[in-house]
Amino acid sequence: MSARPAYRPAYAATDGAHLDVAEAIAKEWAAVGVRGSFLARSIDTGEQLGFDVDEAVPLASVVKVPLALVALDRIATGELDAARPVRVDPATSSVGSTGLAAFRHPAAVAVGDLLLLMLTVSDNASADALFDLVPVADVDARLRSWGCSGIRVRHRLNRMYECAAGAAGNDFSLAQEVAIRDDHSGRHAIETLDPACANLGTVTALVDLLQRVWRDEIAHPDATAELRRLMGLQVFTQRLASELRADTLRVSGKTGTFLHLRHEIGVVEAESGHRVAMAALTRSDRRANLAPDIDLAIGIGARHAFEALRR
Amino acid sequence: MDLLAHLEAYVAAVDEASFSRAADRLGIAQPLLSRRIRTLEEHFGGLLFDRSRRQVTTTDFGVLLLPYAQDVLDRAHRLRHMARSARQSAVRAVGVPADCGPAALARVIRAGAEHGTTLGVHELPPEDRAAGLTDGSLAYALVRVPPEAAALRVPLGLASAPPPNTPDGAHPAPAGARPGPRGRTVHLEDLRPRRGRGATYARRAALPILITAEDQVPYARERLSRAADRAGLPEGLVRPAGPMATALAETLANRVTLLCAEPFARRHGANWAPLGDVSLHRGYDPGVTRRQPGVSDVPDWLVALLAAAVGAAPTMSGTAQSDAAGGNAPTRLAARG
Repeated sequence: MSARPAYRPAYAATDGAHLDVAEAIAKEWAAVGVRGSFLARSIDTGEQLGFDVDEAVPLASVVKVPLALVALDRIATGELDAARPVRVDPATSSVGSTGLAAFRHPAAVAVGDLLLLMLTVSDNASADALFDLVPVADVDARLRSWGCSGIRVRHRLNRMYECAAGAAGNDFSLAQEVAIRDDHSGRHAIETLDPACANLGTVTALVDLLQRVWRDEIAHPDATAELRRLMGLQVFTQRLASELRADTLRVSGKTGTFLHLRHEIGVVEAESGHRVAMAALTRSDRRANLAPDIDLAIGIGARHAFEALRR
Repeated sequence: MDLLAHLEAYVAAVDEASFSRAADRLGIAQPLLSRRIRTLEEHFGGLLFDRSRRQVTTTDFGVLLLPYAQDVLDRAHRLRHMARSARQSAVRAVGVPADCGPAALARVIRAGAEHGTTLGVHELPPEDRAAGLTDGSLAYALVRVPPEAAALRVPLGLASAPPPNTPDGAHPAPAGARPGPRGRTVHLEDLRPRRGRGATYARRAALPILITAEDQVPYARERLSRAADRAGLPEGLVRPAGPMATALAETLANRVTLLCAEPFARRHGANWAPLGDVSLHRGYDPGVTRRQPGVSDVPDWLVALLAAAVGAAPTMSGTAQSDAAGGNAPTRLAARG
């Protein structure tokens, strides 16, 4: 109900037809009140389309992908044992609604299975158990040594819960309200939404990462293969995959959702051999926990981009 | 000394030629009357009555002063009368919402006359009614407050076009015509667009919901937009109504729905169904200005008539369950998926 300056994304596309598609996706997003950045790139031809591709955005659970790659690389090089059991106690583990974070009794889970839980059901407790083994600073340093300059890892997953609860005292609606207000004022009461403190990424950096993982051009090949396998097992299909659900297509992805942020990165692979890596990092003013039309708009964009780039 | 009371005692005693009859006429005890006359005699420095005989008589001094005393009493009486009639002829402004029925407002004005108060009704948006009480330009007004704390609660619902196959369907029923059946309770999440393209559901988008100025008060607008967000309604489905005639015309033409109270919808021949979430209904408190002397509480008869004019529900002292932030498990604050 309030008038804001029209959202004008900066487009990036390899040719005019792709530019049209990028514009159509941005328009579709604007119609449901989504702002954000998007990039889709054909893994083999490098053709791409998107907009606002260099905007750094708090990553939410998308950060679990670079964390997984660093942990898997340590496993592949023998520094970490995938079979090593890790004890996770609900009394001290991270907050979340899935996986070990939802457990009510202590459990011992192998490192390799922490990776599975973290990537398939976005388990925060598994992610932070992995951060115990591979500290935040080590993950960040490893990414820089790989030349992933557009991705910053600065805090554990539970930090997001702590900051949101600290600002809003366990009131989800209030926390969301604060997040949306701060987006417009630029002053962030929730530190994990502040670009100066948050885990950050740009769609360009994330698509670069996916492209290198799918082409075995980063880390140990065993690590990239396992990351591809685990991302293919993600259970969430409401977002990037929502318009790409067919037996002839495979979507390997990782979602990220925190307050008003709704992200997903992933790779769409067809039986025909076409492979397209994508990243959608969005925010909106919608004060709702569930916004299926926003998820669907991201999915519609993903399908549009895949169909344009596979030719 | 209350000069007027003392002069009254004196004049009554002259008229009645008896202290006891004069006291009866004035409705006071005779010793009080006698004392007043004595005080007056001391004040004027001479006896007004000759008490030496069995029958009290007026002295020459008493006869001389009588017309002057009568004159003072007459003028005092006229002064009081003047004050009363001036008070009665002053128009007291009453601020009401813009969607009240004319007949109901006429009853307010007529009842005012019966109670010796001239009322003028003013249709104003909510913020102007509150401002009018503050600056004293309104004597009374209905002030918007959240419904759960309100003295008067007005159910809000959606007005929609009458079905085309009703007897009067071709042209919407005139005011006062038999009301259509009350629609089923509206739950906002039921208005979400359906995703399927199957044969069962025509893939029809929900009609926009227009909001009138009466519901543009900040707290109400805020609640509604949040409720719409949480119910998963598409962006922009809830939006401000422009001019009322246009909004009604679009409603009756089945292009939009209009958020309003039931009497308003019925008056214009629209169907109406209440909103299930009572925290989105209207609440009113009868307010009174502090800037006008002689205006204190809102009279009960006025409250009752104003309640009828805005379509307030029979008082339910129940609590509006405002579970706007329901299901607030801490896990929702964490990163999810």
